[in-house]
Amino acid sequence: MRVHIPSALRRWTGGCDVIEVPLAADMRMTAAEVIEALAREHPGIRDRVLDEQGELRRHVNIFIDGENARSLGGLAAQVGANSEIWIHPALSGGAHD
Amino acid sequence: MAMATNAKLSPATGDILLMVGTVKGAFIFLSDRERGNFRMSGPHFPGQSVWSAAFIGNGTSRIIVGNKSNHWGAMVSWSDDFGATWKEPTEGNIKFPKGSGESLNAVWALEAATALGPEVVLAGVDPAAMFRSDDRGETFRLNEALFSHPDRPKWNPGFGGLCLHSILVHPQNPKRMYAAISSGGIYCTDDAGDSWAACVNGLRVHPDVPGATLCPHKLRFDPENPSRMYLQNHPGVYRTDNEGRSWVTIENGLPSDFGFPMVAHPRRGGTIYSFPLTSDEFRVPRDGAPRVWRSRDAGASWEPLGKGLPDRDGFFTVLRDAFSADTLDPVGLYFGTRGGQLYGSNDEGESWRAITEFLPPILCVKTALVD
Repeated sequence: MRVHIPSALRRWTGGCDVIEVPLAADMRMTAAEVIEALAREHPGIRDRVLDEQGELRRHVNIFIDGENARSLGGLAAQVGANSEIWIHPALSGGAHD
Repeated sequence: MAMATNAKLSPATGDILLMVGTVKGAFIFLSDRERGNFRMSGPHFPGQSVWSAAFIGNGTSRIIVGNKSNHWGAMVSWSDDFGATWKEPTEGNIKFPKGSGESLNAVWALEAATALGPEVVLAGVDPAAMFRSDDRGETFRLNEALFSHPDRPKWNPGFGGLCLHSILVHPQNPKRMYAAISSGGIYCTDDAGDSWAACVNGLRVHPDVPGATLCPHKLRFDPENPSRMYLQNHPGVYRTDNEGRSWVTIENGLPSDFGFPMVAHPRRGGTIYSFPLTSDEFRVPRDGAPRVWRSRDAGASWEPLGKGLPDRDGFFTVLRDAFSADTLDPVGLYFGTRGGQLYGSNDEGESWRAITEFLPPILCVKTALVD
């Protein structure tokens, strides 16, 4: 699968905007496992995407093949070998900005 | 005290450093001891809120800040070259234990606790907890005793969150420390943080109903007598003369009992500064005329200091960590507003000038003498 890294996190991927995470064609993994796999190779990713309780940060979204993971079971959402995943800062805004 | 200019900073021994955290980044100001002109660098951490800052001297100058990205979380970062470069921890360096259900929201307080050791930094955070670093702010560990205090279920977040904002370490007996929490109260330890007890006798709660929690806003030591402390409380201004065992009100003479900061003179006992706001319901200076109020008798009487401050149409707020003093003689005082103005005085508050006027809303102002 391919994981698209937002510009704000590329300092932790050596500047790479897309990271390939290997997965056998007949296997699936969860979004949480994708983040952990990324973090093994690129420390710094995990704590910026997840809080210390392992929850997806409130203003971070993960999109899996065009769907927001929050509507697919959150970090338990399933991804496949050919999935395209985007980590993206949420389009948050309002009075406190 | 003239306007700041944005410049690369080249500090010299004896210069005064201002570390200003805003909702959109940090700004660093530097001046010689005359404090006539400040050079500014920034924004550092553009787009991030910077809630706290501290300077660690002892010959190896380090600035540490509590920065927070609304997307990617909060942490403590540091610079060993006055902001030319910054180091962010690869992994979060302030974390609550797994399974605790808590996650870091913001780092409200950073204090170089030199009485505990040259490398020690204490951090106060939201949700309310204290963390200690023994490596100059790079890694931290939770103070378990305060985190698991039996009062914790009674603590409530205010508009700003549930924050531990004031940390005082007794200068002669560093096993004695104080921590103030909004809304939670003031807690004291005599065993370097192994156990904590509330020290709030005499303080009013707001609202005055059963179950309401205390909301201290800023706590400071008297510089000559650490048994004496001063408190801007949510309702009321207070002093203790007995290490927090009881508190007496010292708000008579002030235009209101509400405000956020409290500043103590760095050497002269009994001299303190306050920035009163109209009321809890209307958090701006009374009549739009911002004034710093000074007491030189430990709160028995107060005088307004307004030379150089607006006489009208000044409806800004000064938050609890956005007012501080340097250690020079005469003392310099500095406050930042939610309107983005940074004011300074180099004559102990007698007169004020805008150092700069158009920053993002200011969250904290800390000072240090470059050694």
